[in-house]
Amino acid sequence: MSQTSCRLFKGEDMVYEALDFYDVDSQLSEEEIMVRDMVRDWVDAEVLPKIEHACRDGVFPDEWRVALGEMGVLGAPLDGYGCPGLSYVAYGVICRELERGDSGLRSFASVQGSLAMYPIWDFGSEEQKNKYLPKMASGDLIGCFGLTEPDYGSNPGGMITKAEDKGDHYILNGAKMWITNGTISDLAIVWAKLDGVIRGFIVETGDEGYSAPEMKGKHSLKASVTSELVFQDCKIPKDRILPGVKGLKGPFSCLNNARYGISWGALGAAQACFHSAKEYTLSRIQFDVPIASYQLIQNKLAWMLREITKGQLLALELGKKKDDGSWIPEHISLAKMNNVDIALEIARMARDMHGANGILDEYCIMRHMANLESVKTYEGTHDIHNLILGRHITGIQSFTRSE
Amino acid sequence: MFIEVSFVALNMVEIAVLLKQVPDTNAKIAILGGRVDESAVTSWVTSPYDEYALEAALQHIEAAGGSITAITLGPDRADKVLKDAAALGVTKLVRIWGDGWEDLDSNQVQFALVDAVRASGAELVYCGKQSADRNQGSTGPGVAEMLGAACVVEVSEFDASSSSYVRPASSGSEKVTVSSPAVITFSKTESDLRRPNVRGIMMSKKAQIDLVSSDVGSSQVNFNGDSSPAEKPPGKTFQGSDCIPEVVGLLRDEAKVL
Repeated sequence: MSQTSCRLFKGEDMVYEALDFYDVDSQLSEEEIMVRDMVRDWVDAEVLPKIEHACRDGVFPDEWRVALGEMGVLGAPLDGYGCPGLSYVAYGVICRELERGDSGLRSFASVQGSLAMYPIWDFGSEEQKNKYLPKMASGDLIGCFGLTEPDYGSNPGGMITKAEDKGDHYILNGAKMWITNGTISDLAIVWAKLDGVIRGFIVETGDEGYSAPEMKGKHSLKASVTSELVFQDCKIPKDRILPGVKGLKGPFSCLNNARYGISWGALGAAQACFHSAKEYTLSRIQFDVPIASYQLIQNKLAWMLREITKGQLLALELGKKKDDGSWIPEHISLAKMNNVDIALEIARMARDMHGANGILDEYCIMRHMANLESVKTYEGTHDIHNLILGRHITGIQSFTRSE
Repeated sequence: MFIEVSFVALNMVEIAVLLKQVPDTNAKIAILGGRVDESAVTSWVTSPYDEYALEAALQHIEAAGGSITAITLGPDRADKVLKDAAALGVTKLVRIWGDGWEDLDSNQVQFALVDAVRASGAELVYCGKQSADRNQGSTGPGVAEMLGAACVVEVSEFDASSSSYVRPASSGSEKVTVSSPAVITFSKTESDLRRPNVRGIMMSKKAQIDLVSSDVGSSQVNFNGDSSPAEKPPGKTFQGSDCIPEVVGLLRDEAKVL
């Protein structure tokens, strides 16, 4: 793996000072700080110079897959089977640093680690773990996660995709949509109903009756591959069912981990937008003085600092809870919802503060803003997370009209 | 222009790499009470030219076999540069420090480094051509002098397959090989610096750092105080096409950029 520049030789414009008003990172371990610096330096050297081209071309650069594997950050909190074995806090820090680069990059890592590797690690057979996990940790195999369907997003339990037991094999029929990494994946974790019960299946690229056409025309997450997964009498061997889980618990376990990572990741995007807004408003002169000297701008910067700081404390406390096992899913809902919400508002506000320049890809903000519109919706929409908290507070579910 | 000076066959090598911890080269340096206020430095890093020396050492032992001892001189915080080296695969780590060592002069620093180099058994010493904080460039040649070793400075290219070094010469560059013991000081080379990975970082957690000290005698230099560099003079402004000849003249004769 190469590093093309070191600090002495970086231009001034490449210097990123991460906003950390309460010195939250001082609570990280030495190991977590080394991992943070490794990912941060890589994002500076290899991602930021290339991200706008990747977005224009609508591709996820394959060299990023290779680099993530070489750094050894995929499936960060999983251990054994060639996985990194880091803390959940370290996983959060990795997501934050990746999303400072781009939400599409962090999405790749989230899907690979939390949505594809995790179910194999937690619910897979010993043979499945040995077969897939080492190569997924190294980035040699890419995974995706098929839960959402065209007509079943917030209500995944209503899924239509079904599996039939044909004696010596299963047959899958149905379609999944909005699947990150789908077209570039080597395997898909697909959730389908077998005799009315949701089960997880490992579908490999090349399985008969399986295809993963790419969805085009996105204004968001442009450097990330989004696909449909189509199963037409897709035949898969019996040993590809995940034996360890039945029902929605399976996919929701995965989503808890991915959503946790997003709660950190969104802060990376927010920090990047804050950094850009601060630099821009200090250098942009109007009426003979930097616009940062005006109260309206300072009010906005102060609001950003306030929300990012609160989000950082939330993410770190949640990370500690993930590591000591004292978390509940509602903790994750709160953090994912809050941190993505404030990140999106910060991106929109930063765009405004950059004036006309804010629409140019010379600045990261409008890209982050467009990305975060997706992040607010995927992995449990903002509103669904409110309903999860509402149920937690009242004991009354309000997702459906039934009951 | 390249001059092939000699050829040394590849052998297993023992290399000592001297690493200095310096304030991040983008950090703002404040003076407090006539001294650099270290508590205001938010980030400490390995001096960048030393990183190129370490990269060359890693390439050298990959090609020839052998091992690296990373040596730093500094207080507790300097362990970080050794841990960073450990994350890249260096297994022998030595930190040198003693009471009241905040104001060692260059000779004393070199005495202490030479003791550690001798203890490591290294036949080659790699270090940066100068540190990013003091920029004196005295460590490499000074250590070479005390060791009685050959010294090649400002190396800009290292070829691991032939253990040869490219250094500036009066009419371009010259490529040399050198018999050990030798001290090589590195400039920025063409090599990409390798990055750590999670596996290396986790190994570095277990890496043992040997803390040693030396009898460095007394300083011959009296420290009188730090001061900030002089403020840059304000820039000149030119307006209108009439100024073009004057501006071109200044760029050519004063700024010497044309």
